[in-house]
Amino acid sequence: MGSGKLSHSVAILLKALSLGYQFGFEIMEVTGLPSGTVYPALRRLERDGLVTSNWEAEDDAVKEQRPARRYYELTRLGKEAESTAVKRYPLLSRLLPEKLVKTI
Amino acid sequence: MNPLTDSSLGGRRDGTGALAKRVLPIASGLAPAARRAEWVREWQAEFWQLQHGKRRVRSERGELHEALSLAYGMFADAAWLRLDWARESARGSAYTCLWVLSAYCVLCAATERVAAGSWWLFFRVLTTHFFGEFVLVAVPAIFAAVATYPVRPLRCNRQHPGSKGWLSTRAKWNLFLAVKVMLTLALGFLATLVAAGPARMVLGKYSDWFELAMYAVTVTLGLRWALLNQEQRCQKCLRMLSQPTRVGYASRNFLEWNGTELICADGHGLLHVPEMQGSWCWYDLWVELDPSWSGLFGS
Repeated sequence: MGSGKLSHSVAILLKALSLGYQFGFEIMEVTGLPSGTVYPALRRLERDGLVTSNWEAEDDAVKEQRPARRYYELTRLGKEAESTAVKRYPLLSRLLPEKLVKTI
Repeated sequence: MNPLTDSSLGGRRDGTGALAKRVLPIASGLAPAARRAEWVREWQAEFWQLQHGKRRVRSERGELHEALSLAYGMFADAAWLRLDWARESARGSAYTCLWVLSAYCVLCAATERVAAGSWWLFFRVLTTHFFGEFVLVAVPAIFAAVATYPVRPLRCNRQHPGSKGWLSTRAKWNLFLAVKVMLTLALGFLATLVAAGPARMVLGKYSDWFELAMYAVTVTLGLRWALLNQEQRCQKCLRMLSQPTRVGYASRNFLEWNGTELICADGHGLLHVPEMQGSWCWYDLWVELDPSWSGLFGS
């Protein structure tokens, strides 16, 4: 996916990931994007190599008494796309708050 | 543990939990089988977050509305995965190749039918041009295309593996080649017929020569394409081989093999195509990969 083709919602998604939001529900909550947009977009970004995903360690999830989550993070290519998106949409930096605490 | 009956969804018997329990198995049917278990696991964690997790924002419309919204996302996600899987499976497959050729043939035939004005005239034009001109040119053109095609015999390091269906792998290979050649020739004939219509208006009585020349070109090029395309397909599943990689150095040709290596995306095997054909490597070599390699091609 070339940076020129980044839609507004994908740019928000990349920004959310760069701020440390890591899984679907959390990203949906912070961006306000509908679930029908967030999940397929994450899959597409992962297929295109902008995002990579890993399963949370089972022990960590058990400690917090919940099922393990699938965490998404930006790849090097994704970080480049994110900085391009921020240049293209300067207000993006002010739109989303920094993630300060871990979501339980 | 069966992911569909995992107790993580039933912790609280509220509307959200019930919805997740009912909808998840239905939506999971949409997700491709190879990724289903992982997909269900991910969505269980997402629904758990909706039911029990610490929330940043609470929707004014209530939890049930949120659950419905999430359920919509679940279906959209599963449908996207299914479509992506179907697209990946179809890419380069033998069926796709035949479907595309057939579609072009139908398109050309439909154009010619519209130009002819009636079915009777359409069939008359087809038979006249087919037996009058096409056959005369096609037979020597087929001969020329095959005779001038560089001989690249293929050697397999194993015999063709058995097939699950009623046709052996070798029979499927030959059948696919035969159908592809026929469709390519039909497309050449129909496309020339369509192109000859405007040419008749421009060239007048010389349009027959144009038509003959076009038949010769389309048949020769079409047939060569069909043969070249066949060479670049997996011996087992007939998908196009991909990721051509240069192997070895031309300067060390006396000491080691050098050329191009292509791979089947499903992991059935590799095709070694030597850069320079010598007495010890005058053939393309198909190296079949055994099931121990399947882990690398799982997704």
